[in-house]
Amino acid sequence: MSKPHIIIIGAGFTGVATAHDLALRGCDVTVIERGDICNGTSGRTHGLLHSGGRYAVKDKESAVECIEENMILRRIVPQVIEPNGGLFIAIEESDLSYAEQFIESCEECGIQIDELTPQQALKLEPNINPNLLSAFIIPDGTFDPLRLALAFAGTAKHNGARFRTFTEVEGLLTDGQGNVNGVKVLDRAANRLLELRADVVVNATGAWAGQITGMAGLDAPVQPTPGIMVAYDQRLVQRAVNRLNVPGDGDIVLPQRRMVVVGTTSFDAENVDYIPVTEDQVKLMLERGSELIPGIRNTKPRGIYMATRPLVGGGSGRSIARTFKCFDHKETHGIDGLVTITGGKATTLRIMAEKTADVVCAKLGIDMSCVTKETPLLSYRQYYTIPN
Amino acid sequence: MSEKWTITLRTYRQKEGEAPRYDDFTLDVDPDEYVLDAVERVWAFHDRSLCFRHACHHSTCGACGMRVNGVEKLTCITILRDVTQNGATLKVEPLRNFPVVSDLAVDMGDFYKKNEMVDARAVLPVIEAEIEHPSSAWNPNDAQYIRLSDCLECGMCISACPVAATTSEYLGPAPLAAAQDRGIRRNPELLNIVDSEDGLWRCHSAFECTAVCPSFVDPGRRIMDLRKQVIGAKLGQLFGK
Amino acid sequence: MNNQPSAKKFLGWFNPLGRNPGSWAFIISRITALGLTLYLFLHLIVLGRLAQGPEAYQEFLALTENPVVKIGELAVIGAVIYHGLNGIRIVLTSFGIGVTRQAQLFYASIVLAIVGTLVFTIRMFAG
Repeated sequence: MSKPHIIIIGAGFTGVATAHDLALRGCDVTVIERGDICNGTSGRTHGLLHSGGRYAVKDKESAVECIEENMILRRIVPQVIEPNGGLFIAIEESDLSYAEQFIESCEECGIQIDELTPQQALKLEPNINPNLLSAFIIPDGTFDPLRLALAFAGTAKHNGARFRTFTEVEGLLTDGQGNVNGVKVLDRAANRLLELRADVVVNATGAWAGQITGMAGLDAPVQPTPGIMVAYDQRLVQRAVNRLNVPGDGDIVLPQRRMVVVGTTSFDAENVDYIPVTEDQVKLMLERGSELIPGIRNTKPRGIYMATRPLVGGGSGRSIARTFKCFDHKETHGIDGLVTITGGKATTLRIMAEKTADVVCAKLGIDMSCVTKETPLLSYRQYYTIPN
Repeated sequence: MSEKWTITLRTYRQKEGEAPRYDDFTLDVDPDEYVLDAVERVWAFHDRSLCFRHACHHSTCGACGMRVNGVEKLTCITILRDVTQNGATLKVEPLRNFPVVSDLAVDMGDFYKKNEMVDARAVLPVIEAEIEHPSSAWNPNDAQYIRLSDCLECGMCISACPVAATTSEYLGPAPLAAAQDRGIRRNPELLNIVDSEDGLWRCHSAFECTAVCPSFVDPGRRIMDLRKQVIGAKLGQLFGK
Repeated sequence: MNNQPSAKKFLGWFNPLGRNPGSWAFIISRITALGLTLYLFLHLIVLGRLAQGPEAYQEFLALTENPVVKIGELAVIGAVIYHGLNGIRIVLTSFGIGVTRQAQLFYASIVLAIVGTLVFTIRMFAG
């Protein structure tokens, strides 16, 4: 019996992790991407390997996912991670009043948390705000966005998955009853239209999920929500520094190579193919970032960009939960052959893929369980060294 | 940031089975935006068939290296104001010395293979990365910190190297710099890889690699240091270590 | 697809557009090398002629009065000073010495080559 063929649309984090999972479960996988790996939201992620501390108080489900996946990623793909932990620091009284529920919630979620005195914190990180009132240390980390994806994609390729980049989905192929059984694509490098058949099509386009489901006449409940990031040209800290308080704008600063990156904001947008940077948001990042690390004022911006989160569910902005959802459109709309996975965050890419692959395998009667938790990834360079 | 310029973006185009050409696009840009933003703008609003690579937009992934007015630049951190002016034409081309996949995207396979061959370090202890502080200034506590290495594997050094232009066999600046970073003494298996026909002796000190590197790797200096390491190792072999 | 490395691209070495000092050093070294090799051949030919007797020596002296030959000799002087000094620069940098000042070493080689050529120009046309 030949292997089932799965087409995954989108080579961001979700797409490549799902390709990796399904390849290990014996499927023949083709990933279709209109640009190249990670050129949408995933490439522009802040790069925070979440400990879950940020979500522990208001979104416990998300926090637990984060800490578990954090530990797994440290094991399976250390080649792309700066694993130096993170701090939550209180600068004002209002921050301090958040501390008690923060500690409780972290402990409830299984996130290792320790309190530091300001002196201890300054010893670890001499460049943080010297007027800090309190600090907590949690197991955050930083990762290289593209290389995290390349590690999954390269391993998937090694296990037989095929990647068709610069190939844009123009439409879905359907059988007589409206069920999806393939995609119609435009190979932009060759300027050629192709029809590719599949047993299941996985829509892993994140913020663009609605565009693909629209081709089947469906809506996807994803609210594209962009935010700004500003990278400054000095590595002022060795670990992530978060503002101790409810999640807000510009309250995370990460080290990455010789930079620190401050993020982010949250606003609605219509056209998410291109979002221009606005000066007021850049100013806000400078203000908020320098509240955590005053030395940022003496650095220069190195890169400024917008990234669009795929938020799932009703409501808007930060009130939406950051978990992910996998929709089997046979259940949602009676259209078989199409599965949409959206929402989530970079740190949870592996489990998003696990759940999606579970759904796909259940549909096709494939009785194989997920092994990605224990499978170390190959060198991220495999993605380029294995020919297409 | 509220200034507006009008520029012409002249971009190299190459599709399978067609002759290469240049397309002109008139764009309204903010001069404090980046070259990559202008290219992305062309794709988003003018021509969806434009193929180019980009991911992080802040010089950590190395995907967006291109030639801007003939000079290698990492386009996500190259401000328009620094490379062009109002009313001018901004030329964008793919990196040299790599096969073109399509338009501005090139095939990085061979280059990454060389980095794999020398097992270039992707992460390393912070104190070995030679940031502003010399190693003697590091607190012993800091030895535990790991950071992503400087080299983004963007390929701009290969594009700029006059020797790499003449042969695809030459290891090239980035892989040699990575070998230097790993060190011959700690990793003696590298000796035969770099001390080879197409290894570090093919470097002719043009230092173009150092000039275009966007990430402080200084491959030219590292290749010279690697020569010291290689000579030391070979002398050691000669005198029977 | 084109854009690949090829041996023919060595001609690109002589294109100075967008180049940094290190490349200029590289290019000028190659040009002076070709020039000096040509000079060496001519020198050997002339020496061969000289071995043929006193009239050959008179012919040779006449030749050296020719302004074109004088300029040629000055070019050789400039080339040999530059090529020699840049050679030393390369040896030093190859051993990791002075790498961070390689551009300045190049400029110094150029300046000394020009100065040396001027000195000989003055001696040649004044004496």
